[in-house]
Amino acid sequence: MSTVGIIVNPNAGKDIRRLVTPATHTSDVTKIGIVRRAIVAAAESGAKRILLVPDTHNLAQRAAEGIDAPVEVLDEPVSGSRHETIGAARRFRAEQAGAVIVLGGDGTSRDVAVGWPDAPLIAISTGTNNVFPTAIDGTSAGAAAAFVARGIVPLAVVGHRSKKVVVHIDDRGVVHEDLALIDLAFIDAMFVGARAIWDPLTVRAVVAAVATPASTGLSSIAGRIHPVGRFEPGGVFVRLGPGDRQVRVPLAPGAFTTMHIAEVRPLADGETITMSGQCVLAFDGERERPVSADATVTAHIESTGPLVIDVEHALILAARDRIFDATNHHLTKDSHGS
Amino acid sequence: MDLSPPVQFDLHRRMVRIRVFEEAAGRLAEANKLPGFLHLYVGEEAVAAGVCAALNDDDHITSTHRGHGHLVAKGGDFNRMMAELMGKSTGMCKGKGGSMHISDLSLGMLGANGIVGAGSPIAVGAAFANKYRGRGQVAVAFFGDGATNIGAFHEAANMACALHLPIVFACENNEYGEFTPRSATMAITDIVDRAAGYGMPGVIIDGMDVVAVHEATLEAVARARAGGGPSLIEAKTYRFYNHHGIQNLGLKYRPDDEVAQWKERDPIFTFEDRMIENGTMTRDRVDEIWAGLRGEIEVAIKFAEDSPLPTPDQILVDVYTSMTGAAQ
Repeated sequence: MSTVGIIVNPNAGKDIRRLVTPATHTSDVTKIGIVRRAIVAAAESGAKRILLVPDTHNLAQRAAEGIDAPVEVLDEPVSGSRHETIGAARRFRAEQAGAVIVLGGDGTSRDVAVGWPDAPLIAISTGTNNVFPTAIDGTSAGAAAAFVARGIVPLAVVGHRSKKVVVHIDDRGVVHEDLALIDLAFIDAMFVGARAIWDPLTVRAVVAAVATPASTGLSSIAGRIHPVGRFEPGGVFVRLGPGDRQVRVPLAPGAFTTMHIAEVRPLADGETITMSGQCVLAFDGERERPVSADATVTAHIESTGPLVIDVEHALILAARDRIFDATNHHLTKDSHGS
Repeated sequence: MDLSPPVQFDLHRRMVRIRVFEEAAGRLAEANKLPGFLHLYVGEEAVAAGVCAALNDDDHITSTHRGHGHLVAKGGDFNRMMAELMGKSTGMCKGKGGSMHISDLSLGMLGANGIVGAGSPIAVGAAFANKYRGRGQVAVAFFGDGATNIGAFHEAANMACALHLPIVFACENNEYGEFTPRSATMAITDIVDRAAGYGMPGVIIDGMDVVAVHEATLEAVARARAGGGPSLIEAKTYRFYNHHGIQNLGLKYRPDDEVAQWKERDPIFTFEDRMIENGTMTRDRVDEIWAGLRGEIEVAIKFAEDSPLPTPDQILVDVYTSMTGAAQ
């Protein structure tokens, strides 16, 4: 089992926040470069199969083109929606991938978690308010993924169980189950519109599984009041509105605003928050699901998210085992037959 | 971020006005009652409506060969537009412009344009004048995905950024340049990837969602008006009918299921459903709006049919400038 799967979200890093903040634009060429580096590094590090799925922008095909590596673009439907990522994660699980690299924002990793809840994951940030994915080069990600997939570096040592916000919606008898990896927000809006959230006055409440002040976006609201680490249990609930406390928050990269805090409540794992009233639910920072005034939304935090691979730790262990030594490198190459 | 009910009604009305005008124009063309080509805007209404609702009357727009929707969204008069399509003397351009050169300077609509890519430099000129005069006006250049392969677009984008002009580049990416898919004419998928090359921000929005278009345009226009310079909005959209006319001689260049999938996301019907679910609109009120605007179109058709053609002695009038009153 030395199979590595790679997913790239073509839509990440191009939304309206480039207009309202100094957020980074992530071009197709940039994404192709990251994937290409991950493929080369995974092959260099002994992955026997490197799997990709097709996408609307042909990023996977273009990244795989002409590389001397055991790379396959699988035959999967191209929908242009989040179902591409969900389907890819399911397929990679079926193909017994030992590690998955995903390029996108928090929402893309969320889609992986929908398709494969226990995915051993390296998430590379190409989105905007990224908390779950981190800024790491494809070269390091590809190597770490291959070492984990080959079992050279044990997943039990370098993999860390992430959290998720489990969401239950009952809207006039229509029940819907959903999840977020970082935060669920209740947005005072009627429309999904441009999806992103940059108007502080519309944020009614946030349930954050990860609340870090070293981030931007909704998670940073809670993070600047009651930090909760990505691997520690529980989370925090913040209700916005008139109150004693006001906090300066970067609601988007480089865009600070004052948020009025009405309530802060630490949440233990499994502790339920119930909200009602017409709003749009935002999952991991994007307006997605309008709910009616009759809807009841409950949410709780669980430590059942994907297994996040610590890339640096994985590579340090590999170095200590002399995996990068040239003599061992030849053994590595022999092992995948190239 | 959220829109008040009056803004919702305004966006809806602008879209329905475009739809009823274009469907009437299509029927007239199929009945051989309109001269020349006709490029219908049906399916893309959210873009023109969402953008133009963010503009003031004295802001400028330049348009494309598929330009009726932009003029309708800017507030174009049905009677004079329909008369122009029929080449009548009561038309916007006294019958000499027709579908592809329709314009109304009183609304800041500087013209549809039969040449792909030719509108953007005109918008840059308007933006330059607006900055020079300092009246706070903004220019918007509408153009399609295919136009971004034309030199004029690149020169316009470069100059706008170099001079830091108050302009918004509004790309209607409908995935086809006439009958050719975008993938056959460019190596990139998102037009917005080109924006950074000129030094301006670019964003992608769902061009079938009028709220998304409007939200983005409000921000882009506010930025331009405040001296923040150009930006590019790429609206992913689709034309429901063919490149020109409705049937387009039966030419087959798009998969039927692709057309059907986009039609399921009809920008008007989806917006109506959302407003009704939100309780800001009722189905009866929706029906009344459609019926009222269809009535206005019938009046416009009658007005146009009853109007005279231009007389031969007018053939050179308004065609060449006499330079009278123009700056020398």
